[in-house]
Amino acid sequence: MTATANLLPDVEVVELENGFKALLLERGPLPVVASVLWYRVGSRDEHTGETGVSHFLEHMMFKGTQRYAKGQIDLTTAKMGGSNNAFTDNDGTAYYFTLAADRWEQALEIEASRMRDCLLDPLEFASEKNVVLEELAMGEDDPWRPLYQAAESLLYQVHPYHHPVIGYRQDLERLSAQGMRDYYARHYGPNRAFLVVVGAIDKARAATRIRELFGSMPRAIERQEPLSEPAPMGERRAVLRTPHSVTRMCIGFPTCRMGERDDYVLDLLAHDLGNSKNSRLYRRLVLKEELLTEINVMNETRQYPGALLVLCELRDGVAPAVVEAMVRQEVQGLIEEGVAKKDLARIRAQIRASFLFQDEAVLDSAMKLARFEAGTPEGYRTLATVLPTYDSITNKELREVAAKYFDFDRAAVVWAVPAAGKGGKSASAKKGKVAPKKAKGAAEAKSGKAKKKAKAGKQKGGKGA
Amino acid sequence: MSVPIRMAIAERELPSGLTLLAVHNPGVQTFAGVVSLDIRAGDEPTDRPGLAHLVGECLDEGTRHYDSLELSAAAESIGAMMEGNQRGGVVMCPATAQKEALALLHELVIEPEFPGREVRRVQAEVLTEIKADDDDPRTVAARRFRKEVYGDHPLGRPPQGTAKSVARLKPKDLRDYHDQWFRPAGGYVAASGPDEPEKMLDRLEKAFRDFRGKPHKHKAPPDVDLAPAGRDAHLPMPREQVHVFLGHLGIRRTHPDFYVLSVMDHVLGTGPGFTSRVSRKLRDEQGLCYSVSAGITGSAGEEPGTFTAYIGTSPEHRQKAVDGFLEEIRRIRSEPVSAQELQDVKDYLTGSFVFGLERNSNLAAYAIRARRFGLGFDFIQRYPDIIRAITAEQVRETAERHLHPDRLVVISAGAS
Repeated sequence: MTATANLLPDVEVVELENGFKALLLERGPLPVVASVLWYRVGSRDEHTGETGVSHFLEHMMFKGTQRYAKGQIDLTTAKMGGSNNAFTDNDGTAYYFTLAADRWEQALEIEASRMRDCLLDPLEFASEKNVVLEELAMGEDDPWRPLYQAAESLLYQVHPYHHPVIGYRQDLERLSAQGMRDYYARHYGPNRAFLVVVGAIDKARAATRIRELFGSMPRAIERQEPLSEPAPMGERRAVLRTPHSVTRMCIGFPTCRMGERDDYVLDLLAHDLGNSKNSRLYRRLVLKEELLTEINVMNETRQYPGALLVLCELRDGVAPAVVEAMVRQEVQGLIEEGVAKKDLARIRAQIRASFLFQDEAVLDSAMKLARFEAGTPEGYRTLATVLPTYDSITNKELREVAAKYFDFDRAAVVWAVPAAGKGGKSASAKKGKVAPKKAKGAAEAKSGKAKKKAKAGKQKGGKGA
Repeated sequence: MSVPIRMAIAERELPSGLTLLAVHNPGVQTFAGVVSLDIRAGDEPTDRPGLAHLVGECLDEGTRHYDSLELSAAAESIGAMMEGNQRGGVVMCPATAQKEALALLHELVIEPEFPGREVRRVQAEVLTEIKADDDDPRTVAARRFRKEVYGDHPLGRPPQGTAKSVARLKPKDLRDYHDQWFRPAGGYVAASGPDEPEKMLDRLEKAFRDFRGKPHKHKAPPDVDLAPAGRDAHLPMPREQVHVFLGHLGIRRTHPDFYVLSVMDHVLGTGPGFTSRVSRKLRDEQGLCYSVSAGITGSAGEEPGTFTAYIGTSPEHRQKAVDGFLEEIRRIRSEPVSAQELQDVKDYLTGSFVFGLERNSNLAAYAIRARRFGLGFDFIQRYPDIIRAITAEQVRETAERHLHPDRLVVISAGAS
């Protein structure tokens, strides 16, 4: 299969004077529509003392607006046979609906109402705070979450990616309804958001309704640039003592921004390192040496430079130092040899297929557009060049980019080992939670055991249920 | 949903007793193939818990024509994602690669060889998973809950087996089990993709016509009844939250009350967002949890499922949560649901069905479910009328017959 000319979907762009933008894509044949309202507001916009407010606010957006009383957004959606949800990450917050084609415009009404008119009632705020604190506790019990968060806090010492999306318990406990109101007023507005609608829609009619509903919204403040993360001056390490009986490890290398050419190269490298049975680390550490039960490599690029993370789950009795040494050897091998031609072809086939899979359902398709729009300088138009870019990457470039980023003198290494008295000689694991959605789909193509067992503890918001 | 949904499904039965199903999904560029054989809960020998699970895990660890790595590389090279399971396997791929993908699925399901080294490696991985599960209070509580509800029934066993039982399994056990139970009779191979159904059936037939073998007689699992009253146990673990499971034996998918109970579930505890009673009360109003649910139909299958209420909460809220569940269970048994609640749930159920039909894998699974449970392929046309005819009194009366607040098993694990 080769990259084809129609990679860029036929999107109609509606731009309003107040900075609001909508991407409309018509597709059938099922009479369904998905909408994603994406705010360029995430945990990286939070200041010291207000961590977690973006995610908590996302919860409150379902607790009533001037037009929709508490519970009405969910009830209205359900009565229409639709579904809705939301998530918060470091760079953004997204609210989404799937509805039947003859009633999807109700989603626009709801989104317009909560862009500026969310009630943030103090009683509801107090009750929902308990829910968020329970969500935090749930994450603390997840064996991967503390590992992942420790790696992030080591990788980002200055940049606000340092703190977890869900926030710190004390900040959440101290946060007032007024504090959240101020945050909402500061950050939620048409110039900080864009809308994606995909499905059986009439584009002209949708555009008119969008202008009517969002055209008079006042702007929020423009987004501030966060502090830049200086280059690390050496390796950073941590050892966590956990109540779990399994040893886990995370190695993180600082990388680049989403959408940069290196990002695509890192996607290919991540696949070759650990995202299939045929990957280097899986073959060596799981199949040959039988030291691990799981390996997962995530290219976590973001709007500011992100990281490539290697997550390992160790078999019982295996010393983490042995695993780390072998990971170092394999990474060095990748730097020296690059990716074999046949492996590169296999990886590219996986990436191409993952693009097709994302178009099976309207919501996946809308989310793909939204992630590219939010995360890359060229926005959704990047989709025209994604697959050709993967195809153009040479083995020389793979080696160079591997050498540029996979430097243990800049890495963060975290071991999570059983606390004294907690059974086991060292390690083991559990299947489970789905790996977090990446900021773009390309790197999600994984297969075989690596996919089955892929997991990581990244905090995603989402109102759950 | 006011727009009628039509679905083209074709069916063909092979002389071996294998049924082929093909669903037309126009407009997509992808394909899914699903094999689901007639393998039942009672087929796993009682002295080998975890065998069926290990067989599923090892299907892709080496076959007649490929070793483990070659099989994985062959799938990845055509952009396919393939996985084995206890009843067969699934492959998803670009529609252009469906022929090759079906050949690999055939290889995976019908011709695995269970090589000793690979089986032992996967076995060690499963043992590690079991150990990690022992760390996870939600899994610990869920396992114990099932054991209490099902007793000696096969569904009462931990699906992965125990550390002891898994350690004892030999590659030969896996081969014997596969030889005995992976048979065509009573099984299904379903496909969904953009091609015409008849064309897809031809392709399925070509791929699976050599799958032969006489059916084996299944041993019926022991009957299971409601557990005696008043089982309440807490398994302490040093964690932030406590995970509580509360409930009892449920129903089979073929039970005539299934649809009324599905309406009841949505009012009580499985409605979307925070529309259900337990979600509104325990999460939205009382702020006790992030995750809460209650329902009886979700687990209904060929064997009886469970009525399960679940909450993950802080330990000081455990009793309040249990009391909250009990109150709502008693209420739905004694009072008819309000006209508004009933209408809201009917609107949701009749309108949301279409979203389950978007993905190829869902469509293939739908076709199998429709045949296996005798629902008929026109089920999606009939479903709205079935739901619309349900009355509030029916919901109350059915809840009274199927929910048993005096026979609840309550199990929790985690923080004390």
